[in-house]
Amino acid sequence: MAGDRMEERDELIERASSALRTLSPANPLATARIMAAVRARRVQAPSRLTVVLEWMQEPTLSLASAGLLAAAALVIGFVTRGAISAINDSSAESVVSQPSAPPSGAVPVLMAAAHNDVRAVPVQIAFFEARDAKQVSVVGDFNSWDGSASPMQRLGADGPWTVTVFAKPGRHVYALLVDGTTLVADPRAPRTRDLDYGGDASVLMVVSP
Amino acid sequence: MSEIDPAVAIRAKRGEEQAFIEIVEFYYPRCLRFARNMLGSEQDAEEAVQDTFVRVHDSFPRFREDARFDPWLFRILANRCRTSLARSRRHRSMIEYGEVPLSAAAAEEDFGADWAEEVRVVLESLPAEQREAFLLRHVEDLSYEDIAAMTGVGLSALRMRVKRACDALRVRLTKVEQHGR
Repeated sequence: MAGDRMEERDELIERASSALRTLSPANPLATARIMAAVRARRVQAPSRLTVVLEWMQEPTLSLASAGLLAAAALVIGFVTRGAISAINDSSAESVVSQPSAPPSGAVPVLMAAAHNDVRAVPVQIAFFEARDAKQVSVVGDFNSWDGSASPMQRLGADGPWTVTVFAKPGRHVYALLVDGTTLVADPRAPRTRDLDYGGDASVLMVVSP
Repeated sequence: MSEIDPAVAIRAKRGEEQAFIEIVEFYYPRCLRFARNMLGSEQDAEEAVQDTFVRVHDSFPRFREDARFDPWLFRILANRCRTSLARSRRHRSMIEYGEVPLSAAAAEEDFGADWAEEVRVVLESLPAEQREAFLLRHVEDLSYEDIAAMTGVGLSALRMRVKRACDALRVRLTKVEQHGR
């Protein structure tokens, strides 16, 4: 780092940088304007999930919308079928499924942030990688990306990491937090990009039971 | 460069409005400086900064409590500035590296112009990715590692962008100094 500065920073560059470092004084009006925009958003803006639910309740569907709905159903079906078939497949990497019955026994049931919403449904997530990890947890928009909300547990001595979270119907983005430091996408779920923090994340589609 | 107490970011993430106000008050001047230097327009900069804080508010649930707030904020701000630049490109043609923009040529004749203004004119003539890398490194004082994490650009490519920006600044500002000071 020091070497970088020695190489790049001469007197002229330093003077140029200094000229650009001038800060405007704090601006209470700007703060008030920003807070007004933020508060208005809290009151008015529907969440993406609300938008999805409202869209799903729309009585009339255009041809394009119907196509999108069909594609979404295919994705859900693919993920769910793949998950169910993979749960018994020792070569599988990880599993996302909606159990038909409440999980029991070795599979821990942990309530996510949305547990008190009647529309939230249990979703089992299993992860067959990171066998040497000391701890793995699921973080996603359904638990406010809280690393302590949904810790996974080993299914048997050498089994996959598993957890059941509760998420509302709709599209969710999540990732797996390994040993509290490494965020990885679920290798078996569709990928997306976390636009704000970078890195890959996974998509979870949840349908009403 | 000082960073805000991480506890404030965590309180804001958990929905405490006073903590969010502290963040806005703490970072607004720096954010406005970066946006102004990137966009060259006070009005566009103010708009980009306001959009940034709204976006920060909306995205707080995805902010990891063990992560540093500065790089996360500047990543969102840099993205907002890129969006603003892309919008303004519809109205004016791009200036390629090495070309002398009309404003810079005019400034070279006006040797009495303010030094800071000279620097801004030259800065504005740089390609956006070089300008962004230079500002984040030399003005905002972020480490290459932080900038790489924010922008998704490799370390060597970032160093090259900063070096090219420095080279261009040296050439142009030396000319300004020789003729005008």
